Amino acid sequence: MRGKGGKDMKASKVKIIGKKKIKDLLREASQEWNVYVPQKWSDGDVWMDQLPKDKQMLDEALEDVVLEDVDTVISPKDIFFPQLESIFKFKDDKIWETPEFSPKLIFGVQPCDLKGILFSDDFYRRNFEDRYYVSRIQNRLIVARGCLRPPRPTCFCSSAKTGPFAEDGFDLQLVDFGDSYFVEVGTREGEEFITMHKKFFSEPDGNYDMTIKEIKTKACDSLELKVDFQNALSLMAQDSFIPEENYRRIGERCIYCGGCLYVCPTCTCFNVFDNVKDKEGERVRNWDACVFEGYTRETSGHNPRKDKWLRTARRYEHKLKFDYKVTGLSGCIACGRCLSSCPVGIGISKFIQEITEKRKIM
Amino acid sequence: MPRVLTTCIYCGCGCGLYLISDGKRLTGAYPSRNHPVSRGALCVKGWNSYEFSNDLNRLTAPLIKKDGKFIPASWDETLGLVVEKFKHYKNTFGPDSLAFLSSAKTTNEENFLMMKLARAVFKTNNIDHCARLCHASTVVGLSLAFGGGAMTNSINEFKDAEVILVTGSDTTAQHPLIGSRIINTVKDKGAKLIVIDPREIQLAKYATIYAQPKCGTDVAWINGLIYVIIAEDLHDKKFIEERTEGFLELKRTVRDYTPELVEEITTIPKEKIIEIARLYAKARKSMIVYSMGITQHTTGVDNVLSLANLAMVTGHIGFASTGVNPLRGQNNVQGSCDVGALPDVYSGYQSLVDGDIRKKFEQGWRVEGLPPKAGLTVTEIISAAGEGRIKGLYIMGENPIISDPDSNHVRKCLSEVEFLVVQDIFLSDTAEYADVVLPSASFAEKDGTFTNTERRVERIRKVIDPPGQAKADWQILSEVARRMGYKGMDYKHPSEIMDEIASLTPIYGGITYDRLGPYGLQWPCPTKDHPGTSVLHKEKFTKGKGTFMPRPYIPPAESTDEEYNFVLTTGRVYWHWHTRTMTNRTSTLEREAPEPYVEINCEDAEDLQIRDDQLIKVSSRRGAITLKVRVGHKVAKGTLFIPFHYREAAANILTILAVDPIAKIPEYKVCAVKVEKI
Repeated sequence: MRGKGGKDMKASKVKIIGKKKIKDLLREASQEWNVYVPQKWSDGDVWMDQLPKDKQMLDEALEDVVLEDVDTVISPKDIFFPQLESIFKFKDDKIWETPEFSPKLIFGVQPCDLKGILFSDDFYRRNFEDRYYVSRIQNRLIVARGCLRPPRPTCFCSSAKTGPFAEDGFDLQLVDFGDSYFVEVGTREGEEFITMHKKFFSEPDGNYDMTIKEIKTKACDSLELKVDFQNALSLMAQDSFIPEENYRRIGERCIYCGGCLYVCPTCTCFNVFDNVKDKEGERVRNWDACVFEGYTRETSGHNPRKDKWLRTARRYEHKLKFDYKVTGLSGCIACGRCLSSCPVGIGISKFIQEITEKRKIM
Repeated sequence: MPRVLTTCIYCGCGCGLYLISDGKRLTGAYPSRNHPVSRGALCVKGWNSYEFSNDLNRLTAPLIKKDGKFIPASWDETLGLVVEKFKHYKNTFGPDSLAFLSSAKTTNEENFLMMKLARAVFKTNNIDHCARLCHASTVVGLSLAFGGGAMTNSINEFKDAEVILVTGSDTTAQHPLIGSRIINTVKDKGAKLIVIDPREIQLAKYATIYAQPKCGTDVAWINGLIYVIIAEDLHDKKFIEERTEGFLELKRTVRDYTPELVEEITTIPKEKIIEIARLYAKARKSMIVYSMGITQHTTGVDNVLSLANLAMVTGHIGFASTGVNPLRGQNNVQGSCDVGALPDVYSGYQSLVDGDIRKKFEQGWRVEGLPPKAGLTVTEIISAAGEGRIKGLYIMGENPIISDPDSNHVRKCLSEVEFLVVQDIFLSDTAEYADVVLPSASFAEKDGTFTNTERRVERIRKVIDPPGQAKADWQILSEVARRMGYKGMDYKHPSEIMDEIASLTPIYGGITYDRLGPYGLQWPCPTKDHPGTSVLHKEKFTKGKGTFMPRPYIPPAESTDEEYNFVLTTGRVYWHWHTRTMTNRTSTLEREAPEPYVEINCEDAEDLQIRDDQLIKVSSRRGAITLKVRVGHKVAKGTLFIPFHYREAAANILTILAVDPIAKIPEYKVCAVKVEKI
């Protein structure tokens, strides 16, 4: 249906949709798509989950859809890169794959997470094509939703210019305007989606361009956490600028849960293992994390990153230095999730503050 | 992609996590953002908790051993055999020829049923579980001192503590979401940390004072602190006067424990003793945190009583962020004790010696003649099985071959017991010795509740079906009771079992599934409108006045000599859980810690000319193991540390079967060993 597209097409058209119509739109769209949208649980936790296909369950799920102040623990990366995924199964001398390629409508993606998806999509196709990832992601439509307020206290997207609204990369983007959303069209596929469901959309009135601009500026101003992101990238680019002591201190505090990497929208590492009984089994892959000692341990037992601080350093260097050198983009998309999921209060925003403001805060 | 909120299977923190499934197996685990313990975070074990139950080598059918080989059989045949054997032993040799080991990995409901099965159906009090091996000293000690053997505070109170004294707990490794709170409080809020531990653990780096005592000398340094506190007039006279009894006796006992003497016994410099005493006593909000390093000694109860003395003498108990906090190890070891999987009490720590209590349970269970005499403990049961006094042994979800002291002794006993039933999710080392193996459901395959270390009763929820013919433990136990002709154990759902627990157990009196909601309730919760309790012993102690029970220092059971010249202390690593039956089936965890090892001090390594990673032989009077060396500064000269997880070099081959006289907890933390190059 579509390729990676969407990157180079600026928002050129704008539609409008009443907030009350969103549920009906999603209901209709779920006939054609597997729809992923944030849903609130009774305990207050919000997850980007797939809407059920069963009619009654769908109606119930639609009641739980939330699009405002959405703080999901994890970015939508797990739709394309699940925590655990089958590579192939085998029995006796037969081997078979079970690829996943359903059409996916990801609705209500935060701009930072959109950057994460685009970054990983690029990574997984850059040197070799990861067929499992590509199979899952190739048939997708992304409806971004800009943030009027930071959903997490740890958000710092305005510093990295990865939010609170996306400039490109989306198929459609929702701009919250009271009882309705302006819908910015980013790609041809986005436009086709609107055409397909045109009864839900109408033309905006008046000087909407200006209104949208004002909304975006106000949203940007609402972010309290500001860091000198560009400066951090250029400091990191200078070799051996960051004192070893910083990494040692952070590495010491870390309890090696892997959480910061598991929740990171641009972390793509996985481990591969076999689940076998007799002559039957499955090869699976699951999320891995570069802070773990075994991640770089060699067969001989030698480990080039045996010390904790070396692994800590590699993590920050990867996100803020090497990714930037290779792609021109930072590997950190400033979602603040590493900090909000860290049991000991370590996060990239704090690391950036430490190196740019030259003070110890972790 | 069904997503279900449940409770983590690993430690006593009791983090709220969501399990994801594809309908057939688990495909992920994520922390709950709003759960009061996890708050959007998990440790590495929690993050990877979805993996082990998918292992294709799960037990999927009941097994009967015939001619030394396990043969799959029907539930009907297998349970028929179990009941036939147990009935025969009961009728021929009496009820006490049977014994039941329950499991702190299973739910409250299942532990309650195991004890009901033992007591109401088979009429024996020979029921115990692994709490005997971890916090039996706490259950006894804190009950004697305060009237209740549980954490007096709650997990989120660490953030407001001014001083935290951590002893015998490698908190960041074993209770990561509590260890992390301690780090945050110290680093971000300026709290002071005191770490007293024979191993220089991660928390030691954050300690204002770190002291490294000789293993097994805890009563000495605690008495030493109290000596200084009284000598410097830092004790809380008002609190002592109004809320405690026995102070004079305490004063008399500790007056011998001068800092000089304490230094001699413990090797902690006397200046440090004075400094620690002042820091702990002078703060307004001081929390004590302890775990296995305190309890797993022949003086385990003495150690716990001494910590209780320390808290009471300074009035550091009964307030928010101020108290005594034993961190319970297993996900549900608090709960399995609460619901009475112990040989001397019913649920809610109600004594079975009390005729009225027995009558209450007889009425509640519609049986007569509940046995009035306390039963045997874990280590006694194993030994009695070896001696032929126990004929039929039923083990649910425990692996004593790896977890109990002196493994060779355990192997011998289990190979000699007449009839052994093992109910588990994998064919463990212990299951290999069974006559009958019953396949059970994992935490993701059933409903129930766990009670975490802060006394929070939390739901676990069924996500997927158990594999093959495996069944939830509560269903299997109910079926055994039914086949014994008992009609009082028919339940449609575990919530009905909880209703029964509530009706018989005052501290759980107000707990129903409807009330538990997403985050549970903390006991005591006596009535249906009670909001639960975050801090214990607030206005008065549960038992009324707190009792000072001073204890003299007694050395460990086995001391070093010329031949066995090293002290061995055992414990766990961050990456693995206990006997490793689950974590060795979790790819990331197993990769991080694939091999057994022994920690040795650099100086000793140099003296012995041993290099890092070299294989050496470590032996005690009971056995020997071969494993790799890890040279460093974590343990002091003359001390070795071995994690007990690994069947490949089981530390418990070396440990000694010497137990605390009251709590009967084994001394895992001290035995004498020697080191040989191979």
